[in-house]
Amino acid sequence: MSSTSRGQYGAHNITVRNFICNAPQAKHVSVVGDFNGWNPSAHPMQRGPDGNWTLRVDLRHGHHRYVYIADGQMTLDPKAMGIARDDQNQRVSLIAVS
Amino acid sequence: MSTVVDRKTHYAMEGNKTFLEFRKNTVARHSDIVDAWCVDTCQMWCTGLGRAFENGGPEDIYWLIPGDFNYGTAVGQEVLGRLHDLPEICLELDQDLCIGEIATDHSNSKQLIDTYGTFALLYNWFPAEAQEIRQYTERPRSEFFAIRHSFLREVLRQRWYAYEQTVVMLLQAVFTEKHISRFFVGNISDLPEGRDSLNSAMQQVERTERVLKTFWREQQQEKSTWSERYRLLESQSEQVRRTALILLENLLK
Repeated sequence: MSSTSRGQYGAHNITVRNFICNAPQAKHVSVVGDFNGWNPSAHPMQRGPDGNWTLRVDLRHGHHRYVYIADGQMTLDPKAMGIARDDQNQRVSLIAVS
Repeated sequence: MSTVVDRKTHYAMEGNKTFLEFRKNTVARHSDIVDAWCVDTCQMWCTGLGRAFENGGPEDIYWLIPGDFNYGTAVGQEVLGRLHDLPEICLELDQDLCIGEIATDHSNSKQLIDTYGTFALLYNWFPAEAQEIRQYTERPRSEFFAIRHSFLREVLRQRWYAYEQTVVMLLQAVFTEKHISRFFVGNISDLPEGRDSLNSAMQQVERTERVLKTFWREQQQEKSTWSERYRLLESQSEQVRRTALILLENLLK
């Protein structure tokens, strides 16, 4: 995960975070997390020429759990700020937004 | 907030004006001072966490700020700035234990101790649990952590060891299927290290072995065949420790 750019939306406590997933062979990648109800179709990512898939997502301040879904396979973010368990007791990545 | 001050430190610093002023004007101003005679750092943890637990309630989360870390450095400032994340993760994401992890390069003594000492010994004494722990953290001896009231209650009522209490807490968390998480709190690289760190590294590996050995025995000694298995693991453990010490000696000279 990379937070290369961010913007503050005043009293709403929302910050824009960039998600980056390196999956050059994948046909479809999305980011799912507690911020989109773990819905694979909510946040599809865009493929760049270098094989990195990116997406900017508005996140509320606090800590969020997420994973990437690359061609249906759940993938942890190797550059995540942390790791936790989700409600199904699976390992997921952590991001802090402040 | 409580600060545990070992009486040994107190008496060793008796005539030190800077220490006494720091204690009075900084520590006492921001926290309750708990003076206690402690065998080792882990007894200071036990005293401080025990007191916090007794003053706390079921919804509380506790976190530990080690006193022997230099918070005046750039790394220290980075760690201080991120420590609040640990209890927040426990609270917001319903985790029982959140370990704060400091990243290091491959040649750092902490990294070497954990790779060749801590994990190698864990794989010997608790192989399944060690694999589970490593899914979360490369720093099972981290002194930065936050713990939920209900899990601290369990931990405090178990046998408390003189050292490597974080490793024991992680094992207990895996045994009882607690929610463990890990969060990055800082980065140490390119620090000069020499003979002092070798001596310290060897001592840390030996301590870890003593704790794991005792903990395993206490877990297993109700079983009739425990002593036979113990002798085998102890013999393997000795080989693991010796190998770790040779590697540390080669790499930390």
